Amino acid sequence: MRPPTPTTLRQHLLCAGGLLLVVLTAPFPSLQAVVHSALVLTLAPQPGAPLTGALWALAAGWTLELTLRLPPHLGGTAWADLTLVLIAGWTAARWPLDGPKDWLTRLTALTVLHVLLLHWMVRLAAGPHPWGWSWLWTLLSLPLWAWGAWRLLHPAAPTGRR
Amino acid sequence: MSARAARRRWTRAAWRRLALVLLWLGHGAWVLVGPDAGRRWTHTADTLALPAQGAARQWEGWRARRRDDGRSLQDLQAENTRLASDLAALRLQNAQEAPRLAEAEEALRVLGLRKLIPLELSAARVLFSTRPAAFGGLILDQGRDHGLVEDQGVLAPEGIVGRIWSVGPTQAKVLPADAPNASVAVMLIRSRATGVLQGLGASRAHIRYVSNQEVVQPGEAVLTSGLDRVFPRGLLVGHVVRVERGELELELTVQLAAPLDRVSTVLLLPPQPPLEAQQPFVQPEQPKPAGRKKGTP
Repeated sequence: MRPPTPTTLRQHLLCAGGLLLVVLTAPFPSLQAVVHSALVLTLAPQPGAPLTGALWALAAGWTLELTLRLPPHLGGTAWADLTLVLIAGWTAARWPLDGPKDWLTRLTALTVLHVLLLHWMVRLAAGPHPWGWSWLWTLLSLPLWAWGAWRLLHPAAPTGRR
Repeated sequence: MSARAARRRWTRAAWRRLALVLLWLGHGAWVLVGPDAGRRWTHTADTLALPAQGAARQWEGWRARRRDDGRSLQDLQAENTRLASDLAALRLQNAQEAPRLAEAEEALRVLGLRKLIPLELSAARVLFSTRPAAFGGLILDQGRDHGLVEDQGVLAPEGIVGRIWSVGPTQAKVLPADAPNASVAVMLIRSRATGVLQGLGASRAHIRYVSNQEVVQPGEAVLTSGLDRVFPRGLLVGHVVRVERGELELELTVQLAAPLDRVSTVLLLPPQPPLEAQQPFVQPEQPKPAGRKKGTP
């Protein structure tokens, strides 16, 4: 049973809220990375509107880099977010979700890919840089924010518990 | 036709896909430019600007050459103007100093003549000339105050000028040798025939009392004979320009050697000079030596 597709307005509002959280969590980089990944991988992708999702992903990436003031060259995060949101949207359109497990599995793969792509593109843009531990917090908290996003996007869908 | 137009028409989805592609490529290009974007953009801009910079250099070089050419032309014009003014100043200076130079040269020549004649000679300057007038003469800047007396002989480097006719306190008047009332005892250099020179005017004179038996040719030099006790023997008077045989004597016309119209400095002979003072200015023709005799070295 496929969950119903969220309305566009709801998804835009959720993206706006996520973007606001990205800004507000700037003093806490680890938490900001989690919010940023959740926004890009769960809220922004829209199977029928890739351009809208791309714009939200770009906004998330630029906001993160601008709040962190990453020297010396910005743009790598936004490029990675754009790429990931396109991949996520294409995946959602190609293989529609059947339930929370698929959602979690797909998010896990996308998160790993996002982490790798993010570091690679930031390295391309700004040169070698320390990885830090944000990626680990993102992966560890993935069940939490994946479940939260699922509930926000599909409030009427089953949670997977029986 | 309509199907082809429909294929050509871009849908909103196509525009969105194009926007996505452009966004992705734009971000990728921006990321790939890397941290040295400024340097790379500067390098790219410099590379693109090379033709314009070359053209600008050419233009600036052309303007510099034109400016230098204009400056050199102006310098040349200024130098030309300066040289022209210098030339005019030098010409003016030359014109101003020409009389003094001529006078200096005349003085040198007079000085040379003074060294040649072993007599107590004194120099005087000709103030002005009244020769064009009847019985005119030359006015000297010396007179009785300088010890001048009448009948002193007056010389120029080219020849005799005349004698002092009258003496004032500060000036003296010279009777030129070509005056009608002037007479000088002369002799011909080749025949040694003596006579009396009488003026005809215009730097010409004729010699009287030369026998028609004498052989005289035009061009023969005429010297003073010293018999008048005004000039010593041997001073050049002039040259014979015309010879005509008269009934008793030769009619000889003489062109005086001294430029009476242009003389500016003269030498004054002492009164009553000795008869022989020097060798004649013009050497007489030396007879050719006879052939050597046999046995002589």
